[in-house]
This record gives sequence, C-alpha cells and structure tokens, in this order.
Amino acid sequence: MPNNSFAIETRGITRAFDARKGFLFGEVTHTEALKGIDLTVERGAIFGLLGPNGAGKTTLTKILSTLLLPTKGQAFVLGFDVVRESEQLRPRMGLVLGGERGLYTRISARENLRYFADLYGIPRSEREHRIDEVLARVDLLEPADRRVEEYSRGMKQKLHLARGILHRPQILFLDEPTIGLDPKSARETRKLIRSLVADGVSIFLTTHYMFEAEELCPKLAVLSKGRIVAQDTVANLRHLVGGDRTIDVEVYGFDDRELSSLRQLPGVSRVLTEEFGPVSRITLRVRTNEVRLEEVSAALPNHPELSVRERRTSLEDVYLDLVEEEAR
Amino acid sequence: MALPTAEYSRSRSTYASLRLSVLQFLADPQWLVPSMIAPVIFALVSFELFRGAGPYYLTYAILGAGMMSMWGQTLYGSGWATGQDREFGTLEPTLQAPTPYIYVVLGRVLWNVISGLIGGGIVYAVIVLVAGGPPALADPLAFALLFIFVMVTLASVGVIFAAFYVYTRYAGFIQNIGEFAFYIGTGCMFPVVLLPFVTNPISLAFPPTWALDALRYLSIPGYQGFGWGFWVDLGGAIATTLAYLSIAGLVFHRVERHVLEEGNLSQY
Repeated sequence: MPNNSFAIETRGITRAFDARKGFLFGEVTHTEALKGIDLTVERGAIFGLLGPNGAGKTTLTKILSTLLLPTKGQAFVLGFDVVRESEQLRPRMGLVLGGERGLYTRISARENLRYFADLYGIPRSEREHRIDEVLARVDLLEPADRRVEEYSRGMKQKLHLARGILHRPQILFLDEPTIGLDPKSARETRKLIRSLVADGVSIFLTTHYMFEAEELCPKLAVLSKGRIVAQDTVANLRHLVGGDRTIDVEVYGFDDRELSSLRQLPGVSRVLTEEFGPVSRITLRVRTNEVRLEEVSAALPNHPELSVRERRTSLEDVYLDLVEEEAR
Repeated sequence: MALPTAEYSRSRSTYASLRLSVLQFLADPQWLVPSMIAPVIFALVSFELFRGAGPYYLTYAILGAGMMSMWGQTLYGSGWATGQDREFGTLEPTLQAPTPYIYVVLGRVLWNVISGLIGGGIVYAVIVLVAGGPPALADPLAFALLFIFVMVTLASVGVIFAAFYVYTRYAGFIQNIGEFAFYIGTGCMFPVVLLPFVTNPISLAFPPTWALDALRYLSIPGYQGFGWGFWVDLGGAIATTLAYLSIAGLVFHRVERHVLEEGNLSQY
C-alpha cells in the first residue's frame, strides 16, 4: 500500500531498453536506464531531479507520468499505482516535456489548448475562461491566435507550460521547463512554478540549471547512471560532500605529495585537484570555520605565488562531486 | 488551484479530434489537391476511359473515379495522421490525456469519411456536368446510402491501420508495401472475381470487398460478382465491418500497452 502523505513514492523502479540497430537483423543492445530507484516526494512541494545527460531523468519522469512502464518495481503518484491506476491518475497530473516538438504548429496556441481542454474534459462553460487564464499566466495572451509555427522556442516552451496546467493538475512534471527561455522569461517561469506550489500543486522538476534547482527545490535528488546517488535538502547534500565552505587554491607546479599537508588541516573533509596546463586548482571542502586562508597558504610554503579564495559550496560543487564519485 | 478532476467525454473527445482535423486541413494547402482538385481530374479521366463502354458507362465512371479519389484518404488518412502525431511529438501528450486514443482516431476517421464523401460528390458532379445528365440508376437513394457505407467499411479497416502507426514508427513502410495490393485486392479498381481464385478468401477478410461487390450488384444490371447476390454481400459487409470495429477497441488497448512497454512513443 502506498503512503498517501507522499505525492510520489517509488520502490525499486528498474527500466531496461532493448534497442536494435537497423530495421530487421541489426544487433540488439540492452541498456538499464534505471537501476532500482527508491524515491519519496512530499505533497505540495517542489522536488528537483538533477543528473547528467543520459542519467535516466526523462525515463523516470515518463514512468511517473504513465508514458512508460517500469521493467520492475512499483511507483505511486498521488497514491495511485502508475501502471494499474493510470486512468484515475492521468486527469490529476500534468506533464511538460518541452522542446520544439509536441505542439500542433499549423494552428494557433488557443486552438491547441481548446483541443487538449476537450480531451481533459474541462467543462465547456469554463473552457474559454480557463484558456485565457493560463495564456495570461504564461504571458501568451496577445499572440494566442497566431499559428504556433510563428512562435519562438521560448514561446513554444511557455505554451507547453500552459497546456500542462490547463486542467489544474494536482501534480506537475516539468522536464527542463526553462530550457530555451531568455533570462526574463525563465525568471517568470520560476515565479509561476512557485505560485503553483502556493496553490497546492506538487511539482517534480528536472533541470540542468543548478541555480534554478537551488532556488526552487527544498529537496532534490541526484541521478547518475540510473541510480539515485543522493537525496536530501541542499544543506544536507553540502554536508554530504564535505561541507558548506569551499576553498579554491591555484598554484604552479604543485606536487601530489603536498596534498597530505592540506588533508591534515583541521576541518578539511575533502581535497580535489584539477590540472590546467602548468596550473593546478585544488579544491578543499571544509566542514567548520576552523581553517583560515592563512593556514592554507602556510601549508604550501614552496608556493609564494599561490592564490587562495573562499566561497560557499555551491549546488554545482555538490552535484559534480556526487556524479564524479559515482563515475569512479 | 487543484480542484476535483473533470471527466472526459467520448463524444466530445471524438468531436475535438474531428475539429482539429478540419483545422489542420484548412491550415495546410497541400490537402486541397488530393481532396478537391484530384477528384475533378479522376472524374474527367474516368469519363473518357469508360465512354462508349455500354449503357452503364456513367456508373462505371463514377464508381471508378469515386473509389480512386476516396479510398486512399478514407483508409489511410487516420493512420497517416497518427504517424504525424509521432513526427510532431504530439503522440505523447495525446496519449497522456485521460481520453483513450481510439476516440481521437475515431474523430479523424469521421473527418476522412466526410472529406472522402466530398471527393465523391465532386466526382459525381463533374461526370454529370460533362455527360449532360445523371447516370441511369435504378435506386439513386440506395446507391448513395451504399456509397456512404463503402466509406464506413474502408474507415473500419483504417482504424486498425491507425493502430499500426501507434504500434511502430515503421507503419508507413508496411502500408506502402500493402497499399496497391489492398486497392486491387478489395475490388476498388475492378471486381475481385477477376483475380485468381486463391486470393478470394484473403479479399473477403476485408469489409470493403463485400461492400463494393454489393454496390456493383445494386448499380450495374446483370452484374455477377461472386454469384451469391446482393443481400449476401450486404450481410457480409455489415458483419465484417462490425467485427473490425469491435476488435478495434481491443487492438488499441493492446497497442497502447505495448508502446508503454517499449517506450517508443517519441520515435519517428
């Protein structure tokens, strides 16, 4: 039985694909896109899913939005089983896959929405009002009667969003909703997403934009190679990768043996190195305020020219640490 | 914002799909040629071909040109529109809506029947115009009704073909192989009895074969066909059409399940 306090609950979701190269006699390749996903998302909140290309984000989104069946495992959305109770679930959920495709481009935005309003059974008496309302919400009211083929990519993205919220879903799946939008439109979209949450809608968001995830999502998960490698609040994820503070050191001619002196500094939980030609960039994750910049400089006495800077550990740092660790 | 969910209506979804088909037809001038101009050309060619071919040449001309202008769109139009859904990426959001996809297909079938009949009407009007009068038909009303029924039988097969387009992106490939075999095998071009005997059982598995034979019985005095007469043909047409329509729902349910298992909805 699903726990009804969750908007989404998955248990061991696995999804494999067999792809054939060529039409008839090509080689069949077997890929496991998702490998035992366990996930819980609370109702009325935004949950972010991060991951590199090919990690399985869209596969998971499609399973949760009833467009794909899992190979193994169970998933419940709003308490409904996505496989056995998809008929009850579909009217309650919205899906925004975005991109250039997915719209009838030779007709207007308003006609696109009328069509889907009818498929969702929105009462006729409310239909036109509801269409105007969502068009205004995504700032497409003025060009609503123009053909979609005349729209920019950003306008199409907004129309995808309008269609996703037209039937007032209780949960909305957003697959990279701000991709292709200019900064102003992206900011308005994030504002819209927050207003939907204020209205009680649960939101499942996938994105590549770390600042967007940090700004919108109280909780998030990082997906890599079909596995959830971490799932928590941003603050706890920072802790997971070694701390709130990051100290970046740039130095010429760094020797790996010098790393041990940095590792021994109190409060340093992780030391990462990258080479950029003759320059080495050393990144220290620091749990406490114990380490001062002068102590870092002092630990590298042979490098008077080094540059040392301190900053807050970003979500991008967290993400890269987790994904790279999984890759190793 | 979240309110109790609305419930879809089958008839409203079918009408929405019909309306969308009309809007797309009007928005794209490429449809004007096969739907409105081609029947005029077919009618003129058919009239010249059958001129002097006995007292019922006008009926032959109308049946020949009418079938030529209508069968393709009525039979394959719905499947082709589903193929377009794949290509435009609209198949996923449409299948994700609560309405079962078969009602979307039915709306398209309805439009294809209507546009096929408009083509048939154009053929009739052109032939009457160039011949200087209507053909000698024993029962014009029965002829018209049976003509419409032929469209329905083609559409019933079209629904099943549309399921192929949902099932696989290679449906167009399969259709192209079978297109003219179906055209000849169901008697659109000439009576099926003229084909080798061994092909007849295959032909009779398709409703249009029965309906077209019945139409020829009705409109051409002395027509022999399969030799079992008009009423058997009509009964066979009704029975096979009902069989096709009743299995269509089951086929679509299975096909939807299959594509959700395969995850190929966005492939085109």
